[in-house]
Order: sequence, then C-alpha cells, then structure tokens
Amino acid sequence: MINEHGGVTRAAHVGEQLSGYLDGELTQQQRQRVRLHLEECAECAHLLEELTALRARTGESDLSGLGADRWRENMNEPGVALSRGLGWLLLIGAGVMIGAIGVFKFLTDPGLGAGWKILVSAFYLGWLGLFISVLRQRLIERRSDPYKDVEI
Amino acid sequence: MQDELAMLGNGAHALAIQILGNRDDAADAVHDAFARVLARPQAWDRKHGPLRPWFLRIVRNRCIDLLRRRRPAGGLVEELAATGPGPDAVLEALQRDRRLERALADLTPEQREIIVLRDYLDLAYAEIAAVLDVAPGTVMSRLHRARLALRKRMEQENDQ
Repeated sequence: MINEHGGVTRAAHVGEQLSGYLDGELTQQQRQRVRLHLEECAECAHLLEELTALRARTGESDLSGLGADRWRENMNEPGVALSRGLGWLLLIGAGVMIGAIGVFKFLTDPGLGAGWKILVSAFYLGWLGLFISVLRQRLIERRSDPYKDVEI
Repeated sequence: MQDELAMLGNGAHALAIQILGNRDDAADAVHDAFARVLARPQAWDRKHGPLRPWFLRIVRNRCIDLLRRRRPAGGLVEELAATGPGPDAVLEALQRDRRLERALADLTPEQREIIVLRDYLDLAYAEIAAVLDVAPGTVMSRLHRARLALRKRMEQENDQ
C-alpha cells in the first residue's frame, strides 16, 4: 500500500508473517508475498536480518547452564532406584502380612459367632468389591487417554 | 526412553527457567517431570506424536504447579546479576548469554517461553501449539510480538 508521500505505509508491512517466513512456516503463496515485499521494503528486510541474527544468537546460547549428562546420571542414580524399590517392597510386603494376620485372627477368634463373622466379612468384601470396580473403571479410562499425564 | 528423556533435560530446564525465573526451581520441575514420566512410561504413546513436545508440556505444567504453590523469591535478573562476569578470554560467549538472559528476563513469561520453544529448542509451530495448548494460528503472532520485544530489549542491553 503506497501512501500520499510515495512511501510504504505500516499497514502494508508483512508483520507477523515475517517470523513465519524466517521459520519456514508459511504457505508457498504467503512466502511469495513476503519475498516480493522484502524486495521493496528496506525496513522489513532490515528487520528480517535482525530477527535472523537474534534467532541464531538464542539458538547458540546455553540457557540451561547444566551439563548434558546431569539428567541421565540423575535418572540412573542407583541409590534412588534402589531406595525407591526397597521402599515399595517393604510397604507392600508389610501391608500384606498385617492384613493376612488380621484376617486370620478374626476368622479364628472363638469369641465371635459365625453370624458376626459373616456379617463383618460381607461388609468388608462389599467395600473391596466397590474399590475394585472403581479402580477398574479408572484404569480403563486412563488407558484410552493418550495425554493422561498432561494436566493444566 | 530414558536416553531420549535425558537428551531433553537441558532444553526442558531452559524452558523451566524462563517460566519460573529460578534455576533451582526449574531443575526441581524437570526432575519432577522425569519422575512422573518414568513412573508411568506407558503414558506416552509414540502414535500420538514425538516425545519432545509431550514431555515439554508436562514440564510446563509442573512449572505452573510450582508457580501456584510459591512465587520465586528472586527473579532471574537478580540471580544473574549475582553471577558476575569472569575473565574475558573465557567468558565472552558467557557474557553474551548473560545479556540475552537479562533481556529475556525483562519479557513476560509467555514471551520468554515461546522464544525458548522456537529459537532455542527449535520446535515447529504445531509442536509449540501443542506444548502451550493454544491454537496453531496464534503461535506466529505471539512469537513475532515476543521477538520484537526481545529485539528492543537487546538493543538496550547492547547500548549499556
């Protein structure tokens, strides 16, 4: 767009498409339009040069400042994996044993009648059934969600 | 998968620094993301796209969680200001990085993260849209505004 002074008005600049051009994210038609504009507009051509240099500078920088091996070492740290595995093993093992002893004591307790034992067992088995049902439903839902770890 | 993730560590850390403004918090966020992914590696399905944008989105979400829980005590500018320049022969590149980091620190978090995603991590616009959870069409305009802001801030840095 040419203004009354013969210059290119701001509205005629390619704007954000300059970044798309720089990144190779434009369609062929858009690329052609930007290329033609750059041939005529020194301001946009200069801006493109600056943005290209800025992008290169950002790409060459080291914004993390940490060694590349740090993350691999951390993930493979044997102490972490061992203590985590041991922790889970103890927790699950002790839980199963305590539960088994409790059930055994309850079933062999001579002070409780068979009626009470059946009633209490039915109550806890009911809870267990509901828990398993909900857990199963959740597992099915999670299996069908590819981005289950992605939460906002 | 561990090797692939390890390769993403520094890039994810750079992104987290720009969101949180603090290197230690950023490292925590990346470690947290690693732990979550490694606890359930089956969560990522190769059919649904590359690992990098998926993992970066998890890192970004961990950063947002951290921001919700606590604001950073000191901004990146203060932290960087405390890191004085060393001998010139060794540190010319480092000083250049510091100028860039100071300039980035003056942008908004949204501007910083999109610049890191594109210009540092070299993600395509579609991948950036997936990480930021925005429409692909908004990436170009947001990135361009961020670049113009960074360019302006870099000019000020170079004048100093």
